[in-house]
Amino acid sequence: MFFGGSVNKDLDQFAKMLNRSVEKMFMDRNEIRFSKDPDSEKRLIIEYGGLMRADGLEKYNESSFISYINYYLNAKDMEKNKAVGAIVVYIEQNYVATLLKMLKYPLADDEDLDALADCCGTLCNIIAGAFKTEISKAGYIELEMSHFTSYRNRAVVGVPFCFNEREKIESTFFIQNQKRLIIEMTMGVVPKR
Amino acid sequence: MADTNIKKILVIDDSTLERELLIEILKGSGIKNEFLQARSGEQAIEILGRNYKDVCIILLDWQMPEMSGLEFMEGVVKVPAVAKIPIVMVTASGSDDNKRQAKQVNPALAGYVVKPYEPEILVDAIKAYLK
Repeated sequence: MFFGGSVNKDLDQFAKMLNRSVEKMFMDRNEIRFSKDPDSEKRLIIEYGGLMRADGLEKYNESSFISYINYYLNAKDMEKNKAVGAIVVYIEQNYVATLLKMLKYPLADDEDLDALADCCGTLCNIIAGAFKTEISKAGYIELEMSHFTSYRNRAVVGVPFCFNEREKIESTFFIQNQKRLIIEMTMGVVPKR
Repeated sequence: MADTNIKKILVIDDSTLERELLIEILKGSGIKNEFLQARSGEQAIEILGRNYKDVCIILLDWQMPEMSGLEFMEGVVKVPAVAKIPIVMVTASGSDDNKRQAKQVNPALAGYVVKPYEPEILVDAIKAYLK
């Protein structure tokens, strides 16, 4: 019986790769430097109905948008929705438009909730893609990646994750010393090539 | 009056923001072509079916709901009427394996642009194919 911890012993390594790819993406896109190194903490996954809880109100105490993307070990697992990992991006609602404009994305209407959800998903997509590339460069097998799914405040049906894992990494990124971007990452064992 | 000889660019991406960014960049670079937009592979097939004679290039995202960009491309390369339309992948998946995989599906793949991209990289990737 498995009570805690992670089967994936490379989780900390993956967290470093994730943080590095986010910092590089922000720098390359518009020379945005975060105020300090991201705070990365291991947290227990709260699971219900086989899915991971993702609640933006717990992160900011304000309305926020959540987008997630799943990773799979191969195309067959993807067809069966058997995820090996997930990236969940949280951005405070009042900051989504500012953040995307900083990253040089055009945003016609920053009060349109659907457009803001799409923005959060777009950012989640490029973060997840950059992270996947880092994983591949580090000698792990190539992962399959889902499209993004976005919600306001909480992921109503939860986020698929690898059932063997009980922990996730939560990385918080600061801009002008304010908490502006939170990314949760969970990842099961990914074989090396 | 619109020039009816200018062909159209089909942009396929589930992110409205990414489609808008891409179109804004191309229009800003002086490209005069009209744009068709699809948010999924299925929608793109419908649009392509009605407009294939007018489309000069397809800009294609990879990760989309229901039918992915790769599945869409697998279908396109099997249909002679559309197989020769150049396709440029514009995707967040930038690993060498993914680039190889895309090239396997479509050996005539016209380009592969990784998001987020610099405007000139996108323009350079497609300008040779504009009609």
